[in-house]
Amino acid sequence: MITEQPPPIRKILVDAPPTVAPGIAPPAGGHAATSGAAHHRRGEAGPERMTLQGLSVFYGENEAVKQVSLSIRLGEVLALIGPSGCGKTTLLRTLNRLTELTAGAQRGGTILLDGTDVDALEVTALRRRVAMVFQQPNPFPMSIFDNVAYALREQSRKRPGRSVLAPLVEDALRRAGLWDEVKDKLDAPALRLSGGQQQRLCIARAIATRPEVLLMDEPCSALDPRSTAVIEQLIGELRSDLAIVIVTHNMQQARRVGDKVAFMYLGDLVEYGPAEQIFDAPQAQRTRDYVRGVFG
Amino acid sequence: MLHRLRQPWSDRRAELTLGALACAVLLVIVLMVVFVANEAWPTFQHNGLRWLFPGGNVDTQINTMVNAGAKPPAADYHLRAWPLVWGTILTTGLAVVFGLIFALLASIFIVEFAPDRLRAIIVPVVRLLAAVPSVIYGLLGILVLVPFVGNHIISAHDKKSVEFIVQLSGASLLVAVVILTVMIVPIMIAICVDALYAVPRGWKEGAVALGVNRWRAMWTVSIRAARPAIIAAAVLACARALGEAIMLSMVSGSVGFAPNPFDGPRLFLLEPLRPLASTIVEDSESLQAPAVRSTVYAFALLLLFSSLLLSLAGYLAKQPMKKYGVRS
Ligand SMILES: Nc1ncnc2c1ncn2[C@@H]1O[C@H](COP(=O)(O)OP(=O)(O)O)[C@@H](O)[C@H]1O
Ligand SMILES: [Mg+2]
Repeated sequence: MITEQPPPIRKILVDAPPTVAPGIAPPAGGHAATSGAAHHRRGEAGPERMTLQGLSVFYGENEAVKQVSLSIRLGEVLALIGPSGCGKTTLLRTLNRLTELTAGAQRGGTILLDGTDVDALEVTALRRRVAMVFQQPNPFPMSIFDNVAYALREQSRKRPGRSVLAPLVEDALRRAGLWDEVKDKLDAPALRLSGGQQQRLCIARAIATRPEVLLMDEPCSALDPRSTAVIEQLIGELRSDLAIVIVTHNMQQARRVGDKVAFMYLGDLVEYGPAEQIFDAPQAQRTRDYVRGVFG
Repeated sequence: MLHRLRQPWSDRRAELTLGALACAVLLVIVLMVVFVANEAWPTFQHNGLRWLFPGGNVDTQINTMVNAGAKPPAADYHLRAWPLVWGTILTTGLAVVFGLIFALLASIFIVEFAPDRLRAIIVPVVRLLAAVPSVIYGLLGILVLVPFVGNHIISAHDKKSVEFIVQLSGASLLVAVVILTVMIVPIMIAICVDALYAVPRGWKEGAVALGVNRWRAMWTVSIRAARPAIIAAAVLACARALGEAIMLSMVSGSVGFAPNPFDGPRLFLLEPLRPLASTIVEDSESLQAPAVRSTVYAFALLLLFSSLLLSLAGYLAKQPMKKYGVRS
């Protein structure tokens, strides 16, 4: 089930068939996700899901995100990279209007979801379509089943019974790659799972209601390399029916999972483009320094 | 130089000392129960468990004991304490239920919805209110609420309809429950607010990010996670309500009467009563009479027993939650 090595770094060229970096064979049999998922890459990106136009966020006087414009497409993973404190989390949290919970945070600019201004949407409706996975795994203090069923229960008008929920919960856990590990202990407390399992449970919880966009804020920063590899593989599998935005300050990870990469620095969007361009032929000096590890 | 520094206590020594202290406390509790039970024994010997049942006028029965003198005949131990027990159950139960509902709503408001400036005022005020001595609430009750209920809520018709059973004066179940609720609510709010603040922000944010509104997020995640503290608050409030004597004796009418729900909700609430704790205080002047003495100790035993049961129930209620990682 779990790949023994971390997924290989894939070097993808524009308009060229996906290749796997030489020297590392794709894992044999089972979920050959790394090679399988690679087929979805580049050129197949679907329609634009979210569009950010001149997005700014202020915490009081401090401008944490400055005039950022980006687009997020279906079937594509956008990796946000940049040093700590450059506004990645802030940018991500504005996409589902979670910054509104922070006293003193103010937003400027427009965010469109499928062409509709997110401010015009009911905030709960927006968050149902734009789900989020946090940096620290935060499963609720309930059973595994109840965690995944939480949003399903809350979003349906009539309380659905367990027989209705069970297949949906199973499906979500399967897509999050957790089913085989927990299928015999769905009623066990979620907080007894390991960190990596907890994070995948949070992913299952977020995708159970079939959102259109999945926001992930450094989902692997609290995890060991093995769990990280599992989650990266998972991102590759999920991207076909979702638009994913993942924040990371791990450049290797951005390179492995990202189709597009956006590099932020002190609130500015310095460079945005296909992953291979950002890593192999960065246009801006600051991007070049950052991806080469001069600072960060 | 170094050897003259004070040696810290070893874990072992600390463990032994604390263990001894805990045992001593336990021993005191056991001795207290044994002593009270022993003193109460004659009452139960004469009445059996029927002591708890309704039957006759409890005030008359106690008066007979007071007048019985030093060597009471067996018949003078006769007591049916139901009205007092019922009065205790009613005042405590209703006040804790209303208090809990109110405290939950208030603490959700304070933690989640109140503007910062309002919160900065409310929280200290609530803590202050929790420290107000209960006599003061009793005074307010007797000076303000009792006359109000007596003059504006109880009609001549009400008085007439129960004229041969009990007198309606304004001091009533209603006033007792209202004042008791007001008395126990601040400490409940304070505990619930602290518990809700202690709920990790990640859980609340996680729920909100799933498209649940803030109210539902509070209710389904934060309150859930804070249940052990909420139960603790309810147990504490229950204990305070059970033991409240002076204030209730002031506002309840202090009549050994069991308010009767079949009189209709209105009359039920307007009827007077007297809980056990108040009865203990009021009868403590006549303790030289052996029958009274034994009876008062029986009341005490019942209260003691209830509070032990309460702690146990609180403890048991928390057990299933521990499993899911809800901290207590
Ligand atoms: N709740 C907040 N209140 C005030 N300032 C904040 C808050 N959250 C973040 N900031 C500030 O916004 C900037 C960007 O933070 P953040 O988005 O967390 O960066 P990153 O996720 O890239 O590390 C930082 O300068 C940080 O100090
Ligand atoms: Mg961050």
